[in-house]
Amino acid sequence: MLLRNVFLKSLRDLRWPTFWTGLGLGILGFYFMWLFPTIGKMMDLQSILDAFPPALRALIGGQLIDLGSPAGFLNMELFPLMLPLILGGFAIGVASGATAGEEARGTLDVLLAEPLERWAVLTEKTVAIVLATIIVAAFLLVGVWGGAAFTGTDLALDKVVAGLVVGTLLALAFGGITLAIAAFTGSRATAIGITGALLVATYFINALAPMVESLNQIRGISPFFYYLGHDPLRNGLDLGDAAVLAVVAVVGFAVSLVGFERRDLAA
Amino acid sequence: MTASGPDPVIRMEGLTKYYGRSRGIVDVDLEVRRGEVFGFLGPNGAGKTTTIRLLLDLIRPTRGRAEILRLDPRRDRVALHRRISYLSGELTLWGDLTGAQLLRYLGNLRGGVGREELGRLADRLQLDLARPFKALSRGNKQKIGLVAAFMGRPELVILDEPTSGLDPLIQQEFERLVEEVRADGRTVFLSSHILPEVEHLCDRVGIIREGRLLTVEAVADLKKRALRRLEIDFAAPVPADAFVGLSGVRDVTVHDGIVRCTVLGSLDALVKTAARFEVRDIHAIETSLEEIFLAYYGEEANIHAAA
Repeated sequence: MLLRNVFLKSLRDLRWPTFWTGLGLGILGFYFMWLFPTIGKMMDLQSILDAFPPALRALIGGQLIDLGSPAGFLNMELFPLMLPLILGGFAIGVASGATAGEEARGTLDVLLAEPLERWAVLTEKTVAIVLATIIVAAFLLVGVWGGAAFTGTDLALDKVVAGLVVGTLLALAFGGITLAIAAFTGSRATAIGITGALLVATYFINALAPMVESLNQIRGISPFFYYLGHDPLRNGLDLGDAAVLAVVAVVGFAVSLVGFERRDLAA
Repeated sequence: MTASGPDPVIRMEGLTKYYGRSRGIVDVDLEVRRGEVFGFLGPNGAGKTTTIRLLLDLIRPTRGRAEILRLDPRRDRVALHRRISYLSGELTLWGDLTGAQLLRYLGNLRGGVGREELGRLADRLQLDLARPFKALSRGNKQKIGLVAAFMGRPELVILDEPTSGLDPLIQQEFERLVEEVRADGRTVFLSSHILPEVEHLCDRVGIIREGRLLTVEAVADLKKRALRRLEIDFAAPVPADAFVGLSGVRDVTVHDGIVRCTVLGSLDALVKTAARFEVRDIHAIETSLEEIFLAYYGEEANIHAAA
């Protein structure tokens, strides 16, 4: 059944990375919610955090930290760094494999000798990647929900979903950039390297922007600005932010189509 | 250079490919006719794989054009690829899939291939369909590729170095498969650097070297025009300089009264020279295409004049 077409075959290829990354994130989500009642009651910790120098505070979650509420707790522990790193890393990894991985292994020649358009192959693979990324995020949701239910924590699940939606879009934005670089260069390492560096650099631009005026001026170029900028864990989904990230992902995909369509494939 | 068939299956006109500044192929004009087995010969690096990958639209020409079944490799790729098949020279398939899964997947991509036909082909090549691709020997991997190339009755079968890694029994079965395609009026385009394999399989061969097509000829003509290896037995020792440098004569060795040489084209000069001495015997040793092929490489200028 999973060998019917390129889309299903791609899902099949992604099933274990998706499962293990999802399981890891899910356990992490459960773990944090399980910790929350203990840590949330340690008001001392909040006062220690409040006494942190602003630079350090900014790095671990900025103004969003409020250990007393589950949303604030997740804003510090899971969402600012852990989720982009793991979910974004996942999207970058699988996106780099879509064409460049097959090209390096030599299976792309076989695939494209079949009656398939190049754009169709790339599109089917991309849809599989998007789906896999959503599935990983869903694992996390289940973990967080499970942890909250287990400890009887009152958590606004719709707000967590809002955070996960922008989180997934952030990951897909980086995935789209990876796809574009991989399609143009055919090099998996180049695609991972450049996008990985971009992820780290734009993270710091956004995190340090409140302290550094020059960074504050260019904060808008960082995808992270559109991720937690409007605090989705408290305020729900900001459609504008979501749209910006979605546009980056779609543009990346569109660019990859152009690059893949016109290039000589490596033998 | 080539006789124009009524309905060429493959037509290349000035087909040229540079990779940056390095040469792939240069100005290749070639027609492959419906129903023939065409051998594309040349040493490694001559441009065989480049040509094939251009035909499949895996790479794009620098200039010139190719047409397959009257279709454009790029614009009509889906329609075209439904009617042709391809065996890559360095076949890699998805390692975690078994032979059965691989063939099912490729068959699905092609719009479905009958289970029965698959089974029959696999039996003929004694293929183990249950093991994952990565666990197979090189020869067994190649067999999977061969089944994939022959299944679904493609009008044109393109094979890049198809017989590398096959054991002799399977090689025979492969040759029967090629024969069947020919008998069916369908076409095979295969590349090789191993000439004996091509000699008896092909109707015509094209010889490519350093990216340029040197010649296209019927295998029968090529052998008739022959490069002959001769051994002449004289009654008494003869001077070597009498034979060295004769037109068309090369590789001369003289040992006592025995002269060995190879002759390309006319025997006239050699026979007239030999007649000046007392001849006891003349042996002609049949030459393989391999030797003809190598002679071409040495005598590239002659070939251009002859073609």
